[in-house]
Amino acid sequence: MKDVFAMWKNTKMVVLVALSAGLYAALLIPFKGFVLIPGITEIRPASALPVVMGLLFGPAGAWGSAIGNLIGDFFGSLGIGSLFGFVGNFMFAYVPYKLWTNLGLVSKNDNEPDLKSGRKIGAYVVVSILGSAACALPIAFGLELLGMVPFAALGSIITINNSVPSVFLGIPIMLILYPRIKKWDLLWTDIMDEEDIPVAGKLSKIGGSVMTVSIIVGLVGGFLAAIGVGQALLYSGFGAGGDVGSAGVLAIAGIGTAGLIISSFIQSMPKAESEG
Amino acid sequence: MDMFLYMDLDTMVHRLDPRTKLLLMLLSFALGVMYKNIVVLLAVLLIVLVYGEMGHILSNLKRIRVVLIMITLFSVVIWSIAESGETRFLIFSLEGVLYGVMIAVKTNLMIVAGMIFLSTTKIEEIAEGLVKLKVPYRGAFAFSTAIRLVPMIVATSYTIIQAQKSRGLDLESGNLFEKIKKYVPLMIPTLVSVIRGTNVFSMALESKGFGYSNTRSNFLKIKMSGIDYLMLIIGLVIVAAASYLKFDPAAYNTLITLFPWGDFA
Repeated sequence: MKDVFAMWKNTKMVVLVALSAGLYAALLIPFKGFVLIPGITEIRPASALPVVMGLLFGPAGAWGSAIGNLIGDFFGSLGIGSLFGFVGNFMFAYVPYKLWTNLGLVSKNDNEPDLKSGRKIGAYVVVSILGSAACALPIAFGLELLGMVPFAALGSIITINNSVPSVFLGIPIMLILYPRIKKWDLLWTDIMDEEDIPVAGKLSKIGGSVMTVSIIVGLVGGFLAAIGVGQALLYSGFGAGGDVGSAGVLAIAGIGTAGLIISSFIQSMPKAESEG
Repeated sequence: MDMFLYMDLDTMVHRLDPRTKLLLMLLSFALGVMYKNIVVLLAVLLIVLVYGEMGHILSNLKRIRVVLIMITLFSVVIWSIAESGETRFLIFSLEGVLYGVMIAVKTNLMIVAGMIFLSTTKIEEIAEGLVKLKVPYRGAFAFSTAIRLVPMIVATSYTIIQAQKSRGLDLESGNLFEKIKKYVPLMIPTLVSVIRGTNVFSMALESKGFGYSNTRSNFLKIKMSGIDYLMLIIGLVIVAAASYLKFDPAAYNTLITLFPWGDFA
């Protein structure tokens, strides 16, 4: 995760964190009234932004997404869930920009996120859905751990609530913003020092694969375990009741969350270490 | 446009160090998480409300009342259907209603604690408090700057909306999804307008010496005083008493005997 911490020494990246967070919060706040789960989540067209910010601004987009969500919570829903929301929204932007290069979805020689080919749009859709799931996993795990909201219901609602805007709104936003950001030299790879930018090497690819497997196993495995103890997906999950806080769900979702975080460290090696 | 919850008053709670208020909020979160007992949670909520009243900021409850009411209704309705119980009326169970009330009190307790913190603490105090708690200055700076930018971004988008309306854009007609569809293209000029300022913003910061030194002096000085330590001790004593009640079988059984309907541990 070297890039995530090294970016703070660059003033332009600090400014991008603040602007990303401000934009995300400003778009979250007007929809606070369109509640999906009171005190937990609401309809979020703003979910279009984290993936875009992650791909354009890298670690600054990830921090901006986490801080922006926290600021959004300041407008009526600040609670224990905000702590998990911070981690989840960080991952919402972090996972897409990591997997964009490390999962082999786009050509190594042309990996700019300009969405100019079908392959890149396909890659965008894949990393958006994985980012949405990576956001849902730690939040649903955390609130299941505290026995507050059923894992299957919350995890599935957040994943869909994040995926739809990030794919359907995110693609046109990306198509419009990318050329301008590129022209203004504001792509994170253009701003950060070269030695701090991770490149796709052997370790990074392993990390990307572990990250993907962790997200899928943690969320899908968690859903299966939750259904096994009487929970159900989406809003049926609230009607179904079931055992909230069961050991099986917590173990699988916990392993997935841990894998997600550990894999972040594996794939953050700068060029020399990654290829060594 | 007053978007924020902060109320500029001179009360004992307002004068507390932001670290104290942050820790008291986290302690109330801990108490909320620790218990699944209506009576205990209501007692904690009462303590939190007394703390809020000491800051004269409970009028802000009106501003978040929709959230609080929706949480309560949602929890009670959903859990009264979902929870099985012996005392049933149509599809609802009395045990489910009580469980829903417990979940509602638990969630509302945390949201009210968060509201009190935000109503009594300025943004710059939160940022300085985070720095004192060893959060790197640049992180705290980004956080406080982002909060300050929110009203500016909202104002920018409002200007863009007004400009488009003056050109004949009809944003009032249609259902919710049609309205969302009309508003989405208006996001783009806002995004572009805000991001375009990055280079100028960075140069302005660096010309003022941002990043010159990791240790910075600050016009705002915060310091823990006697009342801060007293409030922290009171908070810790309450948490210790709640922990004793939770983990001492005899004490907990007495509580359950007194209020058999209120416990869901």
